[in-house]
Amino acid sequence: MKNRLTGAVTLGLAAALVLTGCGSGSGDTAGDGGSAQGGPVTLKMVAADYGDGPTADNSGEKFWKGVVDEFQAANPNIKVDVQVINWNDIDKQVATMVQNGQVPDILQTGDYSGFVADDLLYKVDEVLSPNTKADLLEKFAEFGKVNGVGYGIPFVSSARGLFYNKNLFDKAGIAEPPKTWDELKAAAEKLKKAGVAQPFGLPLGNEEAQAESFLWFMGNGGGYKDASGKWAIDSPQNIETFKYLKELVDAGLTTANPGTKNRKDVWADFAAGKVGMVNGGPMSIPIFEKGGLTEFGVAPIVGKSGPLDTTLGVEDWIMAFNKNGHQEEIKKFFDFFYSGSAAQKLSDTYKLLPVTKSGIQKLSSDEKLKPFLDALPNATFYPFQDPKWSEVNTQIKQTIGGALDDPAKVLGAIQKVATSG
Amino acid sequence: MQQTSPLARAGRALEPLAWVGPAVVLIAVVVVWPVIVMIQSSFLKISRFGVVRGANGVDNYTKLFAEPDFGGVMIRSLIWVVAVVGLTVVLSLALAQLFNQRFPGRNIARWALIAPWAASVLMTAIIFKWMLDPEVGLINMILHDLGILDAMGGADADPLGKASTAFPWLIGVAVFVSLPFTTYALLAGLATIPADVYEAARMDGASKARIYFSITLPLLRPALTVAMLINVMNVFNSFPIIWVMTHGQPGYSTATSTIFMYILKGSDIGESAAMSVVNFGMVVVLVAVFLKVARWNRQVA
Repeated sequence: MKNRLTGAVTLGLAAALVLTGCGSGSGDTAGDGGSAQGGPVTLKMVAADYGDGPTADNSGEKFWKGVVDEFQAANPNIKVDVQVINWNDIDKQVATMVQNGQVPDILQTGDYSGFVADDLLYKVDEVLSPNTKADLLEKFAEFGKVNGVGYGIPFVSSARGLFYNKNLFDKAGIAEPPKTWDELKAAAEKLKKAGVAQPFGLPLGNEEAQAESFLWFMGNGGGYKDASGKWAIDSPQNIETFKYLKELVDAGLTTANPGTKNRKDVWADFAAGKVGMVNGGPMSIPIFEKGGLTEFGVAPIVGKSGPLDTTLGVEDWIMAFNKNGHQEEIKKFFDFFYSGSAAQKLSDTYKLLPVTKSGIQKLSSDEKLKPFLDALPNATFYPFQDPKWSEVNTQIKQTIGGALDDPAKVLGAIQKVATSG
Repeated sequence: MQQTSPLARAGRALEPLAWVGPAVVLIAVVVVWPVIVMIQSSFLKISRFGVVRGANGVDNYTKLFAEPDFGGVMIRSLIWVVAVVGLTVVLSLALAQLFNQRFPGRNIARWALIAPWAASVLMTAIIFKWMLDPEVGLINMILHDLGILDAMGGADADPLGKASTAFPWLIGVAVFVSLPFTTYALLAGLATIPADVYEAARMDGASKARIYFSITLPLLRPALTVAMLINVMNVFNSFPIIWVMTHGQPGYSTATSTIFMYILKGSDIGESAAMSVVNFGMVVVLVAVFLKVARWNRQVA
């Protein structure tokens, strides 16, 4: 009897231990927070995956392992534990971490502004040395500021351009890439006659509809906000833009049912030679080349009456959370990243554009990146510093394809999301 | 007579607790606790980045019910459950009857039926999405070769691009992955019906249809009820098929409440939690209604 009871108690205890075990994993970073004591400190880092997933040669895990190994060799007292998460899940997973109080020390992702209001982040000055800070392009660093104080550190950037398939253009008898909406339509009609199934690749599905729409809006002098900074998603220019796109779609000159098509699929179709023209960026170059397409050209984004003098710039960020202390260690890691070969390796591997003056100089000889590097200084960015942007963005991704059927109604509904509450 | 100490008596009284204890703790931690947290979250104001900003009253619910797509999503969820479970059960009844007969190659056929069950639902959904790709999809290629489809790459070759064609495909895939479990549950039910009942019916001169509707179906009811119940819950919460194949698009026109909840998570976590609570309530109601209709534990007359 006694034995049985002891057994039962042991079992119960064991179960309790197993159950509580789940919660203790994150405790260690807070535990050895006394970083000045010289014991090894573990920095927990969460980063987005710029590669093709965990098994690919260019996976984020492999990239960061290379960086971290080198860093740890130089700084034996600091360990960096990197968790790479794909772009689709990273926002939600980080939100869960924050909600549970298990924030990382370093986060690399597409937005920083949401953490600022709650004082979760170190200021840029606290975790970057003056030299590193001076090397960042001012325009980019400017976007990392909220009310004049820097929190987001620019990580990489990209710009957009019009890619066209030279072989298909030759076949259709098109001499040069279109510059205006009329020329684009004429070129698309020629491509269609030459048997191209998707003369213009138009991804308005959830993956990146906000980018494709923005490029088209800008071509008509529109955008998500007007010059005074007010939301203007259902502006007359934007509505006219979708009316033009509808003409293209109805004439069968684009991807079928654009509202359900994602950019990665359309880019894959372009790489397979099934698409005549598509908007893309430097990061699409490796995808096209991997798909076997080398005869492509790059031109500025097409606008209604002429090519755009701006383009969509996208900037990704790295930031440091202040919850676990570790300010000094984070500073060392950031300095290592920006001053060493890591930032350069990132640009080489993923064809992402650098955010430092030295980085841009190093890349200026790359012919394929040149059009994008030239476009960067004049780029326009998403209104991501507006607290409503994340909600608006979700709505755009899911529904803006429907604006092809009824521009005023769908754009009006998104405008309502932006201006309500 | 030996005297038992009070301690030993207390120990004996508590003994069952020690054995059920771990299971109770497990249920409390992995089932009850998350439900409580979910309900709590639905009344909180939470930033998209996970920072709790205090109580929010019923605002999350008001906002959710005011969503222009909310009504459509709920109706679609009901259609989805009724269509998928209904089709699955009808097909499974036929398949179970078939597999209950002796015929050459029966074992192979039974193994083949397990295949969609053995493959991950996510994988099956991805494969179907690829087969329906407008440019390179296998199903489209076959239709093209047969002359049913004029050209690849156009809107005609893109069944997942329009809700009117996409939703039937989604239902089809959901039925496909639900068939194995349901059929096997019914097969097991068929095996429990004693042969002498059939013999007696035949002696009395009952027709085949009569035998099926008066003997097989009533005796199959327990198995049928369990299979349908599990299917109702499963299908209502089904996520990967729609998420992978259409992402609820175009717009929200192929989204069910589970998909809607997940999309909301990207913009407003509190509202998404409110949707989860509504979802949870729907499942409870659906199951209650179903059990009422199926007259759960009443004996077969």
